[in-house]
Amino acid sequence: MEKMSAVKRAILCAACIALCYALPMAFHAFGAGSVFLPMHIPVFICGLTCGWPYGLLCGIAGPAISSALTNMPPVAMLPTMVVELAVYGVVSGILMQIVRTKRLYVDLYISLVVAILAGRVLAGMARALIFAAGSYSMAAWVSGYLVTSWPGTLIQLLFIPSLVYALMQARLIPQRYPKTKTGDRKV
Amino acid sequence: MNSQLTGQYIPGTSIMHRMDARAKFSGFLLLIAAVILTGTIKGYLLTISFILIIAALSKLPPEIATGSVRRMLPFFFVVFLLNVLFFESETPLWQWGIVTISIDGIAQGANILLRIVLILILSNVLTLTTPPMALMAAIESLMSPLRFIGVPVGDVSMILSVAVQFIPTLLRETDDIRTAQTARGAQFESGKLLDRAKALPPLLTPIFLSAFKRADELAVAMEARGYRGGKHRTKKASQPMPVSGWLALLLCAALCALQIFLF
Repeated sequence: MEKMSAVKRAILCAACIALCYALPMAFHAFGAGSVFLPMHIPVFICGLTCGWPYGLLCGIAGPAISSALTNMPPVAMLPTMVVELAVYGVVSGILMQIVRTKRLYVDLYISLVVAILAGRVLAGMARALIFAAGSYSMAAWVSGYLVTSWPGTLIQLLFIPSLVYALMQARLIPQRYPKTKTGDRKV
Repeated sequence: MNSQLTGQYIPGTSIMHRMDARAKFSGFLLLIAAVILTGTIKGYLLTISFILIIAALSKLPPEIATGSVRRMLPFFFVVFLLNVLFFESETPLWQWGIVTISIDGIAQGANILLRIVLILILSNVLTLTTPPMALMAAIESLMSPLRFIGVPVGDVSMILSVAVQFIPTLLRETDDIRTAQTARGAQFESGKLLDRAKALPPLLTPIFLSAFKRADELAVAMEARGYRGGKHRTKKASQPMPVSGWLALLLCAALCALQIFLF
């Protein structure tokens, strides 16, 4: 992938942090905020496009700013959500750097699926060991992170890779596998 | 959607508006600690009085200062009800299956609610009386010790400042795109879950493209003007914290100490 300048990465990260506030506002306006997990999307996009340090910052600052300005997520939920989103940002960024199969969608799906699993497992562990020690069960984790959030997970799996592809096609971020001289590019 | 915007700075000349942002932010953290440490009726009376004085000093209209509290009333009701009905107590007033109503449960529910409401009022007063840029500068100043463990505090602060400035623009654009897609027949507010999910790509894709386009233009403009960030970044010499700021911090710390040692 061609390199993006540090300034551009920083500003794209800032835009993603702002979207962590703006997207949930839009989703809540039509009553789909908690179902479609809108705050997760900019964090994944930030990790996948800007790299893990920016994904980490977006995962921490996005929910924190949103919570400070709108109390969404509520202060009591904030620490767990910060852990979950920070892991999403870091893991998706690191994997996008490591995994290079020469096929954009394969790279994106591997990074995304592993990040989703890692984020949910670590957030559950953080709740069980730190934030709700003693009062958090496996059943609560399955219910909270797998059952009730399945529409949001589906949206993430369906839209995020296409969104990254659209950003590349619009030349807003560099192509991961630029066209060769013969013009073929594996997608 | 914009009507839901809370925490947006309201210009003013009250004592809270004029107070140093670093003192306000540090005091806010100390007061959250005090609220969490409060456990007795005397302690609550003191903490509530202190927070009400702060709210009064901010001269914010009560309906604005408590805006988010009123919007979350249904959530509070559910939290209170869950505690009242399911708190396990050795001295229940009434019991049926897993449902147990007790004085302990009612006290626990009231305790949690009171803490959340007080923290919400505090965060409202902080954000309503402090310009976002001043708040970000305060956070940068307080984060500066992190430089010693390699955290690029200047870059983080710049990113947070730009993010806060992006928020009103992106909110407006998101609203415009939503209205435009609704006019084209997208159904966001009605229909089954699947229909609403299908309406999302026409909303999400333009929002991200628009946000990234704005970010790209800003990055190009900054680089064209020689911005390189990191250690090359300079700023105006920061002002030392005024005496009034230190006094406010001392009062907040004293409240914390009273909650630990007296109540």
